[in-house]
Amino acid sequence: MENRWIAYLIPPFIITLLLVAGSQYVFIQNSFYQDLGLGRTGTDLTLTNYIKFFSDSFYLKTFWITIKVSAIAALLTLFLGFPIAYVVARMKSKLAMFLLAGIVVSTFVTIVIKVFGLIIIFSADGLINKTLLNLGLIERAYSIIGTQEGVVIGLMHFTIGFSVLLLYSVVVTVPPSLEYAAQIHGASRFRVYQRVIIPLCAPGFVVGGLMIFNMCMGAFTSAALLGGGRILTLPVLVQRTVMMEVKYSTAASIAFILLVSVILINLFSLIAIRRLRSARLVVA
Amino acid sequence: MQTWTEKIIMFIWCGFSYVFLLSPMIVVMGASLHGGEFSAAIKFPPDEPSFQWYSKIPAEQFEALGLSLIVAAVATFIAALIAIPAALGLVRSNFKLKFAVSSVFRAPLQIPAIVSGIAFLQLYYLIFDTSGLMLAGTIPGMLLGHVFIATPFLFGTIVAVLQRFDHRLEEASYSLGAGRWRTLYRVTLPTIMPGIYSGGLYAFMVSFADVPMSIFLTAPGFVTYPVELFYAMENDFDPSILASSSLVIVFCLAMLLIVQKVVGLETLLRSGGGSAR
Repeated sequence: MENRWIAYLIPPFIITLLLVAGSQYVFIQNSFYQDLGLGRTGTDLTLTNYIKFFSDSFYLKTFWITIKVSAIAALLTLFLGFPIAYVVARMKSKLAMFLLAGIVVSTFVTIVIKVFGLIIIFSADGLINKTLLNLGLIERAYSIIGTQEGVVIGLMHFTIGFSVLLLYSVVVTVPPSLEYAAQIHGASRFRVYQRVIIPLCAPGFVVGGLMIFNMCMGAFTSAALLGGGRILTLPVLVQRTVMMEVKYSTAASIAFILLVSVILINLFSLIAIRRLRSARLVVA
Repeated sequence: MQTWTEKIIMFIWCGFSYVFLLSPMIVVMGASLHGGEFSAAIKFPPDEPSFQWYSKIPAEQFEALGLSLIVAAVATFIAALIAIPAALGLVRSNFKLKFAVSSVFRAPLQIPAIVSGIAFLQLYYLIFDTSGLMLAGTIPGMLLGHVFIATPFLFGTIVAVLQRFDHRLEEASYSLGAGRWRTLYRVTLPTIMPGIYSGGLYAFMVSFADVPMSIFLTAPGFVTYPVELFYAMENDFDPSILASSSLVIVFCLAMLLIVQKVVGLETLLRSGGGSAR
């Protein structure tokens, strides 16, 4: 019996391994050739591209902005996603499924369309600017394109649907009976949040937050459209280096640095899951 | 058991999140009813609602939509052919490097799509240099990339379903005289079907919405719909783009309704959202 199942596994494994290893190997190797511009590369393996990345303040600044906007977007996404996840998980009516359907649809619709909507909302004579101008809160129309806030909002839209589904799966693991028990013993609702719900959801929040941060780090479309060429993140830089400067090796080295950062964060969240799980075992 | 203050806070908090989440899509659909001329500023709500821009959607956008649908459908199908035996083989067999093998199948999800995009482009250039065969800007080239990003979704959901699979069902089938293949077709596959459907839906939708991978694999006259939108937005766009975007939103809604009928949203959520990533 055993051999039969392994036989099922082998062909798809070889195909996937070829695709993964093949594509990754080629670009990683390319990143070690010196970039001569216009798609030409040197023949010797060097670290030139990497040395350039880590000694050029432009690249380092881009790296820092990527981390910064991703972290802010991840935190805000968790903040907006949690109430939906909690309310839907605790809801007993049919309405819960309806609310979840709204979230699933929003994860299906391509981010480009959502950015479209954002640009209309924030346009010079759009809803937000008109209201703010009428209230006298701003003096001239605020533009979302080319600002860090714009990129953060775009990244949030890219991740929020997924994060609600993720947090939902965290909240449903906390049985409502625990909340009742705490309340019967005299805890206020605030105490229930503070001592029951938040601590039990915390591991999920940490891991989910890291996953969302990771998604933001690798997000291209919303960052490119809302950054408008003024706010650059690493994924945007990779695409621009290929499309506008035709520097394949440089782009490959940036892509590799992005890849390594993302994998390191993944490893970190794996370790975090292990830690948190074992910590929880001690508590329970 | 919740106090009124808490209910009100939660209602406002949730309401705000929902407005944030859904407003761009509602605004796009609303603004697509733009009544004015091309030059008139796009507004929400529109000044004189009309469907005029729906009839003015240029042919390129429909071609791009068609290409996106075909690529997403075929890529999902191929991904299923890879993911189903892979998931069956992995869950059922027992060997030491199981975690490593599973990681290889899930790897494309961990790699940012833009990195995969540039990786495939450079792979295709290498293939071109050695064999003269150009894959970038062709259907097979595009498909290969999309299969790459779609497979983990199917793999993840099917593995999740298989891990809850009751083996006694298969044993019952064997003891009632069904052979290996008959059991596979009549018992195993039907049981994991909900996983295949929901994973397939996610795979399809991810492929259908993709920009960062496709943007490297397109060619003039060979552009997927999201990439077409992406370029339109970088330059000047006319309201017909809003009209076709609204059609896509309606299509996504329709897909969800179909899945709700076929497998139910619960299955989709249980096997889709969290486990796939």
